Amino acid sequence: MLSRVAERVYWLSRYVERVENTARLARVHAQLMFDLPKSAKLGWYALVEITSTEDYFESHYDARTEKNVMTMLLADRNNSVSLMSSLWWARENTRTTREILPREAWIHINELYLMVKEHQESFKTRRERNNLLDKIIKSCQAWSGMLASTMSQNETYRFMKLGMAIERADMTSRSLDVGGLFAAQDGQSDSDFQYDSILWANLLKSVSAYFMYRQHYQTEIMGQDVVDFLMHDFEFARSVRYCLNTMHTMASKLPNNHAVTHSIEELVSSMDNSTDFEVGSSDLHDYLDELQADLSEIHSKFYSIWFNPVTVV
Amino acid sequence: MINELDKYPINGFYDESVNDDGMPRESSKQLFDALSSLSIDNFKELKTNADKTIAQMGISFTIYSDKGNIDRLWPFDIFPRIISSDDWSDISIGLKQRLKALNMFIEDVYNEQAIFKAGIIPEEVILSSKDYRPECKGMKLKHTSWASVCGSDLVRAGDGEVYVLEDNLRVPSGVSYMLENRAVMKQVMPEVFQDINIMPVDQYPANLLSMLRSLSPNDDPNPEVVVLTPGIFNSAYYEHAYLAHEMGAELVEGSDLIVKEDDCVYMRNVDGLKKVDVIYRRIDDAFLDPEVFNKDSTLGVAGLMRAWRSGNVGIANAPGCGVADDKVVYSYVPDMIRFYLNEEPLVQNVPSYLCSVEKDREYVLAHLNELVVKPANESGGYGLLIGPHASEEELAEFHELILENPRNYIAQPTLKLSTVPTLCEDGLEPRHVDLRPFILQGAMSYVTAGGLTRVALTKGSLVVNSSQGGGSKDTWIVRS
Repeated sequence: MLSRVAERVYWLSRYVERVENTARLARVHAQLMFDLPKSAKLGWYALVEITSTEDYFESHYDARTEKNVMTMLLADRNNSVSLMSSLWWARENTRTTREILPREAWIHINELYLMVKEHQESFKTRRERNNLLDKIIKSCQAWSGMLASTMSQNETYRFMKLGMAIERADMTSRSLDVGGLFAAQDGQSDSDFQYDSILWANLLKSVSAYFMYRQHYQTEIMGQDVVDFLMHDFEFARSVRYCLNTMHTMASKLPNNHAVTHSIEELVSSMDNSTDFEVGSSDLHDYLDELQADLSEIHSKFYSIWFNPVTVV
Repeated sequence: MINELDKYPINGFYDESVNDDGMPRESSKQLFDALSSLSIDNFKELKTNADKTIAQMGISFTIYSDKGNIDRLWPFDIFPRIISSDDWSDISIGLKQRLKALNMFIEDVYNEQAIFKAGIIPEEVILSSKDYRPECKGMKLKHTSWASVCGSDLVRAGDGEVYVLEDNLRVPSGVSYMLENRAVMKQVMPEVFQDINIMPVDQYPANLLSMLRSLSPNDDPNPEVVVLTPGIFNSAYYEHAYLAHEMGAELVEGSDLIVKEDDCVYMRNVDGLKKVDVIYRRIDDAFLDPEVFNKDSTLGVAGLMRAWRSGNVGIANAPGCGVADDKVVYSYVPDMIRFYLNEEPLVQNVPSYLCSVEKDREYVLAHLNELVVKPANESGGYGLLIGPHASEEELAEFHELILENPRNYIAQPTLKLSTVPTLCEDGLEPRHVDLRPFILQGAMSYVTAGGLTRVALTKGSLVVNSSQGGGSKDTWIVRS
């Protein structure tokens, strides 16, 4: 398989995953905002923080309103991580790798892109926005399912799974970080505390972990358990641990994989040896920061080994 | 629908579906029967469905910008262009004959030059062609396959005869649209395909692949075939990806390939370098190899000519084959067929006047307002003079141009291109068409069943190029 093509399909599935995650995040966050009292500290701006786009937001928008945040997160083509940008790149990467993908892969993404582009105005009003986001989420799910059932489990598929898994791990860790930050905020009044469980429930929903979490823990939703579940669960497909396992399985069947699999193993064992973090402590934030840095390090190894190795003539 | 024909103008042009008496031609009867129950509004609905299908399949030309592509959808008319299978079988034999002679000519030019010595074609005509490549001298190719893929443009004139207008030998494009047009038609009018005996076109990619494999320089039973594209910014990128996909071949860019010191071509794979045996290149000679041609080219592969000359890789179409894709050389094709094959040409040339020949030039200059003047080696309908439609200034300008550089111009009589019924605002109207079949020559020869019919969608226009407002139609070879 060509290095350039491997890089493109890797990004392609990362972008599709990002489209789905962003849609889910926007959808769930709006639900949460309707439940929280006006006095709650968590605002629309948390979405900007989760996606690390604070600088961009501050220089392009004035007030931290729902409309501004949603526009930046979903529709703004100048924001490189907006849903529209991710979808555009997903489509470009599919368009330029269509020769190795099932034909439906292109048709499906192209249709989704054309549909969202046509209905972009819907991002501006709550009701229509929710309907559109639901459609986008469904479409991304159908896309993954279609590929899983039509593609051979070949190199192309492995690079796609690799992209999907690393994007998921990254997104899950970001969501956890914001939950932790909220819980850590000083001066929370008692009335905020009763909303704690609402916050964590929504956080679970934003990574579609709510039902699986419910089946796993039959008690009230505790921040500590949520962190544990999303970090370490072996069976839930969006936990960081599960994503790392997927990455390891995929990488181990790719050529010259030693440096990559070794880094993943190191990351897994450091997770196993980490102590429980107290929710609300700065330790969790630091730890998640480090995790994201490790993921980024693994990502750059993909480049030095598979996507852009040095060739001697 | 059949009543629509009452209003269909019979205006002195040959119509592919309608006789001079206003009745359907034999090969189109079944289609008109099948459509008889439809109103024009029904027909327009089908057209809307077709456009929707085209958008979903993403069949488009792309004008590129990083703020979103400006996709211009492939303009498509749903009334097919129909040719009877008897007619077509004669034409396709003629096309194979033509390509065989062209390939023998190219090999001759770069080797013995027998055709010059016999005085059939003046040597200077060839050696002054901008597509003559001295780097190809001495090369003999497997199956004499220089122009392995040829897209010849055919027109039917007022006399009902089919003529070859030009031979595209360099990197002919359009075949994916032929295949997509058929896919769209099957989606939109599935019923007619059941009732009418229409020859399939879908085998093209398989035939292309087996032709390419037959060019492999070694006897590895599974040669590595790749499609070389200039990249995603090229307007034909869609087709490059489409063909690679259908053949299961890798689609590579110049930067994916490397020529090592052993003069072999390799591609950069995730598990290291892999040897490449055959390259179906879709970039022009000039950009192919910066070591030999355009030094600034970043699209090509340094050392590719070395590898090809050493016989380590097959390239389709071969470098240098453009020497026969020139409108002056074109006028000699009937002589080539007689010289190399000792046969009479089965498909005719449009009569041409060579401005480099004094007698012809005088005639051309005296009759500019009746003729079509073409530069010898431009494609895409650029730089044309259509005499009857030209202004005084344009006529004067071409008068000058021809005198300055006679070798660069040929002239042909204005052809009365045939028409096909086409769906317009007020119903069916005749619109002018041409036809680009694709001919393959490797271990065996193959001609597509039909080809890409291009249609000038503007009333009265003769320009069918997609870059200049043309559209296309599905082409049916119908067995009675």
